[in-house]
Amino acid sequence: MKTITSLTPAMLADSAAVRVESLGPQGRISLRARGDLSALNGALGLDLPTRIGHRASTEGMEALCLGPDEWVLVLAHDRVDAMLAALGAVYDDHPHSATSISGREVSLLIDGPRAAELLAIACPRDIATIAEGAGRRTVFDGASVVIWHDAPGRFRMDVWNSFASFVAQTLITGARELAAEPVEGG
Amino acid sequence: MSRYRVPGKGRVDAARPVGFTFDGAAYHGLAGDTVASALLANGVHLMGRSFKYHRPRGPVSAGSEEPNALIGTRRGPGRFEPNTRATMQEVWEGLQTTSQNKYPSLRFDIGAVNDAAYMLFSAGFYYKTFKWPQSFWHKVYEPFIRAAAGLGVAPAEEDPDHYASRYLHCDLLIVGAGPAGLAAAVEAAGRGLSVAIVDENAEAGGTLLSEPQAVIDGQKAWDWLAQTLKHLKAAGVRVMTRTTAFGYYHQNMIGLVQKLTDHLAAPSADLPRERLWRVRARQVVLAQGALEKPLIFNGNDRPGVMLAGSAQTYLNRYGVRVGDEAVVVTSHDSAWYAAFDLADAGTRIKAIVDTREKVSEDLLSAARLRGIETRLSHSVTATGGRLRLAHVTVNEVDCGQVREGQRIYCDCLLMSGGWTPSLHLFSHTKGSLQWDADLTTFLPKDTPEDCVIAGAGRGLWGIGAALNDGTEQARAALRALGVEGAGGVHAVDHDRSGSGTTMRELPTDRNPGRAKAFVDYQNDVTAKDLRLAVREGMRSIEHVKRYTTNGMATDQGKMSNINGLNIAADALGKPQPEVGLTTFRPPYTPTSFGAFAGYHRGDHFEVVRKTQIDPWAEEHGAVFENVAQWRRARYFPKPGEDMDAAVRRECAAVRASVGIFDASTLGKIEVVGPDAVEFMNRMYTNPWTKLAPGRCRYGLLLGDDGFIRDDGVIGRLSQDRFHVTTTTGGAARVMNMMEDYLQTEWPDLNVWLTSTTEEWSTVALNGPDAATLLQPFVEGVDLTEDAFPHMSCIECTVAGLPARLFRISFTGEVGFEVNVPAPYGRQLWETLWQAGQRHDICAYGTETMHVLRAEKGYIIVGQDTDGTVTPYDAGMGWAVGKKKPDFVGMRGLARPDLTAEGRKQLVGLLTKDGSKLEEGAQIVFDPDQPIPMKMVGHVTSSYDIGTTERPIALALIEGGHDRMGETVHIPMPDRTIAATITGTVFVDPENARLKIRGESA
Amino acid sequence: MLLIHCPYCDETLPEAEFTYAGQAHIVRARTPSDQTDAEWEEFLFIRENVRGPHFERWRHFHGCGRYFNAVRDTVSDRFLTTYKAGEPRPDLSELEGRA
Repeated sequence: MKTITSLTPAMLADSAAVRVESLGPQGRISLRARGDLSALNGALGLDLPTRIGHRASTEGMEALCLGPDEWVLVLAHDRVDAMLAALGAVYDDHPHSATSISGREVSLLIDGPRAAELLAIACPRDIATIAEGAGRRTVFDGASVVIWHDAPGRFRMDVWNSFASFVAQTLITGARELAAEPVEGG
Repeated sequence: MSRYRVPGKGRVDAARPVGFTFDGAAYHGLAGDTVASALLANGVHLMGRSFKYHRPRGPVSAGSEEPNALIGTRRGPGRFEPNTRATMQEVWEGLQTTSQNKYPSLRFDIGAVNDAAYMLFSAGFYYKTFKWPQSFWHKVYEPFIRAAAGLGVAPAEEDPDHYASRYLHCDLLIVGAGPAGLAAAVEAAGRGLSVAIVDENAEAGGTLLSEPQAVIDGQKAWDWLAQTLKHLKAAGVRVMTRTTAFGYYHQNMIGLVQKLTDHLAAPSADLPRERLWRVRARQVVLAQGALEKPLIFNGNDRPGVMLAGSAQTYLNRYGVRVGDEAVVVTSHDSAWYAAFDLADAGTRIKAIVDTREKVSEDLLSAARLRGIETRLSHSVTATGGRLRLAHVTVNEVDCGQVREGQRIYCDCLLMSGGWTPSLHLFSHTKGSLQWDADLTTFLPKDTPEDCVIAGAGRGLWGIGAALNDGTEQARAALRALGVEGAGGVHAVDHDRSGSGTTMRELPTDRNPGRAKAFVDYQNDVTAKDLRLAVREGMRSIEHVKRYTTNGMATDQGKMSNINGLNIAADALGKPQPEVGLTTFRPPYTPTSFGAFAGYHRGDHFEVVRKTQIDPWAEEHGAVFENVAQWRRARYFPKPGEDMDAAVRRECAAVRASVGIFDASTLGKIEVVGPDAVEFMNRMYTNPWTKLAPGRCRYGLLLGDDGFIRDDGVIGRLSQDRFHVTTTTGGAARVMNMMEDYLQTEWPDLNVWLTSTTEEWSTVALNGPDAATLLQPFVEGVDLTEDAFPHMSCIECTVAGLPARLFRISFTGEVGFEVNVPAPYGRQLWETLWQAGQRHDICAYGTETMHVLRAEKGYIIVGQDTDGTVTPYDAGMGWAVGKKKPDFVGMRGLARPDLTAEGRKQLVGLLTKDGSKLEEGAQIVFDPDQPIPMKMVGHVTSSYDIGTTERPIALALIEGGHDRMGETVHIPMPDRTIAATITGTVFVDPENARLKIRGESA
Repeated sequence: MLLIHCPYCDETLPEAEFTYAGQAHIVRARTPSDQTDAEWEEFLFIRENVRGPHFERWRHFHGCGRYFNAVRDTVSDRFLTTYKAGEPRPDLSELEGRA
């Protein structure tokens, strides 16, 4: 299949069951820190969530807690340098690591009444444990991914570039299968 | 209407005839039929030949336990499957089926001579026969065994179907949709729990499908079933048919295979054929029911001999009488009901033979009412008929004496040895069993899993008992989930609970040594074989099983295990619990490889990671190789070039002008924090404190054992920020190792690691023209020796893109690595490619990279090292910081065996005759020593396609560093090659070529 | 496939998210160069082969990324407990009966 890249967003699968799209460029920062986070919160303009899987947002930026000292910040692509500079300004007072990972990943949108079932074809975790408004790093078909549950039946999946085509192929096959089969339990 | 079809009976659709073929002959069945029921409706019992003796066989059951009626099915090109149970395969218009284990035809088979030689083929035949002389092993015995082995014919074509998988997490999984399972589902439904119920059959109902006479809570069984299923689905219960729970794994993970298209004539191409479900259930109800046991007597395998309960199923579920004239032989009440049903449907029951002295008056009067002759205290000692049962011999047993037999002519014999719980899945849980002396069977006892057993699966016979136990057990499962059930009792009329006794072999007046009384139909194991195994010294049931192969066929001993145990226990003179049951293992029924492979086949077999530049390489004809999970361009052949020619051209181009190389797969780790330099000092052998921002250093990573683990160039971007690179294959491993030390040994360090392998696309330019080519695109730095010397790094702009520019070389030429945000990698590549045309730019792959670096003596970790090589062994002691208090591997390097004399050390080799050595070839000092020779090392890298005048090689050789100029020998199959030990640098030892010549344009 | 409780995420998750990382509570000496050859050999190579509760390390690789410790019964293949890196060994007698 065609290489998946954020430079060329594409509709990968589209049916009444579920739609899969690869999305365009997205600014992302991996933020690592510990201790009192108030200096960072000030620089970011939001309070970093401290429970793994929880999210916080401010206008134009969202933070997801991935580990006890790890967050991913999602923001507009052209705001990354400014945000890195703002964080850099508090580095001496509150040492941390802020690294742009904007180019590292592609986001896939999985949207539709059977989106959770599509994720369940290759994600061993119970998708229902990722509450609406939450997110998790987990594994999908052998690749580490971050899954965001944005709204009922709507998920985003961040996957490293080199895995994207493989993961997308799994999703395309699964979406086709869901479109072809009658609804379970009906 | 087929001759044996009973109008108005069964759940098949008389309005929908279905045409299919069996061994080329056309037959008609009805929608809802299995291949077995449709053939039986046409009077066909002979459906296959047995595996070992090629005896004619027909279906003995109506379900997944069927050992005999195994057929090949063809569903169009490529869609052939052997060993399908005719009793499970549904018919559809156009289905092609074939019988197995026959030559040249099912009715006349040459292999049946094995049957005549029965006395030779006893237990352990192969062990005893194919022993001596040893010279026969490969030439005579193996071909013979291979020719005889195999059940059915493996498909030769690639499977065109696709297979799916899915995870399911639920509160309650119920396995088996018979009365117990359905009652359990009813109890659990509508309580806010996620509930799934699965059944291997095409429709839910289990026993209810075979016993329509029952009345449940005032409703006819089939009406109750329909209403119950409707209610369950409305309540959100997931009802999955054609779905086999094949294995019960740790912590309530159950493997299911759902068959989605095998019953369809024209399935959608997008539908998978099968789906593997990995279910994680908080609680499980096993309601798999019980299996009817065959009786063991001479000739109990002749087509027409069938389990009584199965005959009842064929009649009531499929509307098929299995014959016109039947004899029934039983030790259990249940067969009497089968006889009555068949009698009522028009089959003449010529006798009910019961081994027991007494049966209930109800049964006797019901038989009398139908004019059926009954013979208590009788046995069956023989059957006759060539390809179909023609008669049975019935003998009275009087105080243990078997009287003279009487022949009764009939076309089917219905047998029942009673019932045994289906313990398979329970056994997978490592559950313990207890012997029930009354039922003469094992019952489930304790299990470490969160699971309960309901109904006949724990020895409760009859629909009423199953329903009520299903409710009760579900209630227990609900309680464990913190939910209170409603309980309640189902009232069942016309229930057929019964009792019986358990027999070993039926009493006989014949020589038991000559009886062909089959215990395991599929593996052709007889009672005689089991007794022989015990006589020959097998004491453990596990040994008896393996020696005789009883229960080892694809039916997993569903019919044979308990009968085999009873006979072995008798032969051993021990009670059954002391002999024990063999362990059942997954899968419950044969499961296709496709289901296990799921989506992972063909191009999608496993993850293949591709760089952003990969599509360009593909468009330009690259030949790829796999490196760890990545696929990398190995070389770029021009038309007519083989690998050697392409690599020779690529190598020459890099040394002559400039080459371009996709280095994106190199692992990259961003090390950031106030303690970054301290962390680097502790992880790598090299000292980092004095490395100035803007400079790079080659770093060597060891394990704490002192051996080389990885290497790479590391740039210091700022005081607190390092850009670490690793080998392609080592990226994840290095990251893991660094995190391990950081998190668990040095949690006090203020430093964090971020994987940036995929953040950057890395384009390497190497060659004397590299600086000239690159300079016009670089903003922020002059590519001169003064401004940007070798081993420099800088964050700048390249071709308008934010970039990290490194001046490093893995070829010995002037080299740059340009890192840009990954998605822009191809754009940068094409920009440089265009501009490079006037420099004769050449795209090169990993093979050229390997050659050029070997010419410079640069090692590849994992090729020139093998996990036992220290920096000193590799001649890289210069990379080890001597003044550091500690680093990973420092203490390891001081281990006595690592400082000992005579370690294998990395050297260069030049062959005296100018031939190329083989990588991996062993090296000796003295070629004239006797064999086995003392091997002193091996060739690690070897090339003859580079830019040196003669082939070069790197090798690890004992004490090699002190043997410069000495001759070693490499014995090959055809000759021994002499080579001279040299240094490892073959090109430009002064590193003059690393300098930028003149000023860039 | 086992279920493993990650003490950092406080969730019980499928084994597929985790990687095994060897025996737990093997401490790398603060100053390795002070170690005798025998001590270093012990640190590098000598491991338990327990029948029963085994102290071992796992990493929540496809998750929070943390290394943590666990006690797993090698007979039943059940986890008796998991706990964060750096926390002391739990008392085995208190864990008994959980298998």
